[in-house]
Order: sequence, then C-alpha cells, then structure tokens
Amino acid sequence: MQTVRRWIHLSIVAFLMGLLGLVGPALAGQTVGVTEDGITIGSFGALTGPYYLFGKLIMNGAEAVYHEVNKQGGIHGRRLVFIREDDRCDAATAIAAAKKLIYQHEVFMIHGGGCSNPAIAAREEIERANVPWVVFAAVADPITMPVAPYIWSTALTASTESRAQVDFAKAHGAKRLAIIAQHDAWGNARYKPLMEKLKEEGITPVADEEIGVDANDATTQVLRIRQANADAVLLIVYPKATAVFMRDAHKVGYKPIYVGQTALSDLPALQQQVGIAGALDNFFSISQVGFSPEDSRMGRWRALGEELFPGDRLSVYNLFGIASAQVVVEVLKRAGRELTRERFKEEMDKLQNLNTGVYPGLITCTPTDHQCNKVPAWIKLEAGKVVYLAADR
Amino acid sequence: MGSMFLYLVLSGLTNGSLYALLALGLVIIYKATTVVNFAHGEVFMMGGFFAYTFYVLLGLAYPASLLLAVALSLLLGMVTERLAYRPLIKASAISMVLASVGFSFVLRGVARVTWGGKGDFIPFPPIFSYDPIVLGSLLITPQQLIILSGALMCMGVFAAFFRWTKLGKMMQATAENQRAAALVGIRVERVFAIIWGVGACVGALAGVLMAPVTLLYPDIGATLLVKAFASAVLGGFGNLPGAALGGLSMGVIENLAGGYLHTSLVDISAFLVIMLVLVVRPTGFFGAKAVRKV
Repeated sequence: MQTVRRWIHLSIVAFLMGLLGLVGPALAGQTVGVTEDGITIGSFGALTGPYYLFGKLIMNGAEAVYHEVNKQGGIHGRRLVFIREDDRCDAATAIAAAKKLIYQHEVFMIHGGGCSNPAIAAREEIERANVPWVVFAAVADPITMPVAPYIWSTALTASTESRAQVDFAKAHGAKRLAIIAQHDAWGNARYKPLMEKLKEEGITPVADEEIGVDANDATTQVLRIRQANADAVLLIVYPKATAVFMRDAHKVGYKPIYVGQTALSDLPALQQQVGIAGALDNFFSISQVGFSPEDSRMGRWRALGEELFPGDRLSVYNLFGIASAQVVVEVLKRAGRELTRERFKEEMDKLQNLNTGVYPGLITCTPTDHQCNKVPAWIKLEAGKVVYLAADR
Repeated sequence: MGSMFLYLVLSGLTNGSLYALLALGLVIIYKATTVVNFAHGEVFMMGGFFAYTFYVLLGLAYPASLLLAVALSLLLGMVTERLAYRPLIKASAISMVLASVGFSFVLRGVARVTWGGKGDFIPFPPIFSYDPIVLGSLLITPQQLIILSGALMCMGVFAAFFRWTKLGKMMQATAENQRAAALVGIRVERVFAIIWGVGACVGALAGVLMAPVTLLYPDIGATLLVKAFASAVLGGFGNLPGAALGGLSMGVIENLAGGYLHTSLVDISAFLVIMLVLVVRPTGFFGAKAVRKV
C-alpha cells in the first residue's frame, strides 16, 4: 500500500515538474530570442549579387555598432547576436529569409530590409509573427504604410525623398522638370509620389523617360530630355544606369541640374563609374546620412569598420547601418532588462528626437507614424569630395 | 530634329555593330553545330574582363590588351567546346542547350570570383576622350568611331576568312554537311573546336570594344545575348551576312523607337523584333525557307 502511495506521490511530482518545464520560460517571462546573456537580432538583405550595397554593406555597419556595444558589456548584461540571411534582393527569397529568421533562428527582432520589393513581400510574414522589425534601407512606403504595430523604418521613405527632389529643383530655380526613371518596384515606389507631388505643385514634366536597370546606352533618353529643354532632371535610377546616362549627357554637352536620391548617395563611386571629370558638376543627391565617410567625425566608425572588415573602405551604405543600429540599441536600452517585444514596441512608439550623430535629422516615431526619419541631407561633389549643402542640413 | 535623327542613327549603328559581332559568333556556332550557345553572352563578358585585366590591372597598351583578350577568348571557346559540347555531341539538342546554360553560370561565377565582382560595376577607362568631334550638326565621339570601324573591319576579316582561306572553307564545308566533310578527310572534331574558338573570338572582340563605353559586371552578357539573338533572328538565323545586317538594324531600330516613340521601347525592342519576325517573316532578311523533299 505504502509503495503504491509512494508511486502516486512520485507521479504527481513528475507531472508537476513536466508542467513546469513546459511553462517555465513563460512563467519566467522569457521572450523568444532573449536569453539571460544574449539578444538575437536577425537581418535580411542582399549579401550577394548586384545589390549587395543595400544589404551586406549596411549590415556591416550595423554589426560594427553591435560589436562595439558588446565590447562595452552589451545591453543590460546581454550581448547582441546578429544573424544575417541573404535575400539577393529577390522577393521570394526574402520571404524565405524572414521565415528562417523567425522560426528557425527564433530571433527577438529583425533589423534589415535593403531592397523595397523583397521588403514589401516579407512584410506579411513578419507582421503575422508580431516580430519587431526596424527597416534600415528599403524605402517603399507600403513597407511602413499602413502602420503595422511592430514595423518601423529609420530610412528615408520613397515619398519623403520624391517630394524633396521636387522641392530642391524648385528651390534652385528650375521650371521645366524632366524625369528619368526605372519602372521596377523600387522605381515605381518613388515615381508615384513624385508624380503626386508634381500634380500638387501644378507642374507637368516636360519629359518623362524610362531607362532599364541594365542600360548600356542612354542616348535616346538624353536626346529626348535635351530636346524638351528641361532645366532640371529628376533621377529615379540606380547608380549603374545613372553613370551611363551622365556619360551620354556629357557627350552631348547637356548640363541642366541633376537631382538624385539616396541610391545615388555614394557620389565618389558614381564619379568613378562615370569616369569623366566635371560630368557631375551639376549633380545633387539626397543622402540619408549627414556626414561623408571621410568626415573626421566618422573616424570612430572608420576605425571600427577597418577592425571588423579589413580591406573595406567605410562607405555611405555602412553609415546607413551604423545610424539605424544606434536607434535599435537606444530602444533596447530604454526597454530595460525585462525585455519583451511589447516593451520594445512601447519604447519605439515614443521615441522622440533621437540624435544618432549620423543621420542629418532627429529620429521620431509615434504610434500612428512609423516612418521615423524625415530629414534628407543634400550633397554634391566638389573637387572629388562630398560636400553637404549647408542650407538643407 | 535632323541632328537628333543623325545622332540616333549613328549611335544605333555603333551599338548595332556590337550586336552584329555577337550575333556573328552565335550564328557561326549554330550553323556548324545547330546548337544555340547560351553561354555566348558570358564569352562576351569574359572578353571585356580579359581586356580590363590586361589594360587596367597589368597596364598594357589597348591594342595589345585587345589582341591578348581575343586570343584568350579563342582558347576559352575551344575549352567550352571540349568541356560542354564534345562530351554531348551525340546527345539530344536539349542536353546541349542545358550544358551551354550551365556553362554560362560557371563563367559568371568565375568572373565574380576572379574580378571581385560582388555585383560591382567596374569602370573601364576611356581609350580616347569622351569629348565629341563635331561635324556640322553631327556629334561623334572618338570611341564610337573606334567601335564602328573596329567592328566593320572585323566583319570584313571574317568574311575574307571564310571566302579565301582553306580553314574557312573547311569550316563552311563542315557546317554544310558533317558526314561529307569527314568523307573528304576533314577532321570534323578539330574543326568544331576551331569554330567554337572563332565564335568566342568574335564575341570577345565585341566585349573589348564595348568595355570603354560601358561598365563591366558579371551579368552583362545576358542582356546583350538577347539583343544578339534578336539580331540573328532578324537577319535569318544561320546566315552570316544576315547576322551582321540584323545587328546593325537592331541598333538603329531600338534607337529610333526610343527616340521618336518612347524610351520604354528601347529595352523591349529586341523582344518585339523577335516576335514580329517570327510572325511576319520567319526567315528574316536572308534566311532560306526550309524545303522538305518528298
């Protein structure tokens, strides 16, 4: 009888222990991707292929920040673990990458999204999982509009940039505006708000031309825009096709104001690709960051980049990641030791006027506006150096 | 208006001459082996990168770089034949096509690894100034002149080679009828290797001529291959003069369509040409109608 009773007691104890094992982490308030000594942050973007600038280089910048945080003991005693997945700037691959981060790596949050189309595609999966996602570079408005509770962007968005392009051209006296655009998902995300802004301003573009991402010749586009006698050309084009366009424009001696956007913010690299001295004399572009990589104030990041990624020069894309990662770090700090996704969301939603020291403006998010970066910086090349236009900073 | 038309035509002829060279390489291989070499665009790309290596990285003169790049491409074409084509010589056409597609990926991978192409667009310094020469209302850059004259010269040499050299005649004979060629003592396999080599040479020459006016990157071949294919179809697939004329026409067509209709047509004109030719005149400019004897 005693033996039976002992067995019953043992069974009850075993059952309770099993129950505790199952619900233990929940009772202890453990959040997915957060352990006693670590926080796992996932990232997806192009690590390979022609668009690695918008993935790998930005991730390198973010990792530099996380590395420095870890050197100083982490956040509330937890080290930051950064996991990368390659989406090759491809929508289907981005969905797979997001799923892998969420369900296989079980990350606490995602800090990534380099190309717009893949980021739009991945949104549904990430939104469904309620995993916090801070977008570091993809610009299309549908990634953050309508507002999803756990998705924010520290990048300038397409509509902000497109509107700024029109304002810039007007402020510089241009009256006859022409557009040269690539009509893929990335291009259309910018083209639509640009056309809306032009309509608001009562401006009809004198030329509206298209160029392919892989264009090797832009003679027809240049001649049509020149024939339309445009005094400003707004470019919604990637760097390669822009280089070809600028070469061809130089050949025919056509020199209006050229107004670019953040994809064209690495002006020294663009100049190298154009390969003609003076071809970018009238070229202005938006920069998402307020400093050139050569600026002495970026010396700390340059040194850290060289330590982590020997042989790589600090690029403007690294700075995108550096700036965005500082927002993530600050919010993780504010969320405290009892970190949950809900706490992260609360702190993100009340982020006010955060100065990263890299973005040109302050970062502000609200519960109804998750596009947290609204201040573009304008840059141009002078004697081979990137110069920031003071009035626009 | 007149100057725009002339500039569009001239620029179209310049681009078209490159398409023509690529199409010639495609057609010569097709004519001899009935295989469409889908790695031909990558051979063009490799030609550009070979020239970049000799001219930029090793600091050789442009003519020497051009010759060395073309010679290396000859070798590359023969290696392609040995590795991707000869083992499958008796296999079905689809196997050959798949082999050439596979080889195109191999070449792209090799380019990425060798030239650090993580997607970079590599600038090739201009051989001459980009400043145009003004002839009345017409503008032309020295580089355009070099491309146009180089490509036309190459086409002339190519025609002379087939018409007047023993090897050229052997290649033509092999292309016409392999069995008959073998019966008269031509070593068909060796001729095939040379044909692949010559095809690669012509493609690579286009790559070397084009490199200074564009940016080099491992995926450049795919875009150009479509245009070369359209040129070959327009000329009558399998006809060498047709490929040359098709290429020149293709360049002019896309420029005029882009210049006078809309620039969105530039990228799709190659596909439109392929569709139109197949519907309206499947034999192209010079292709012979297939006659079935019963």
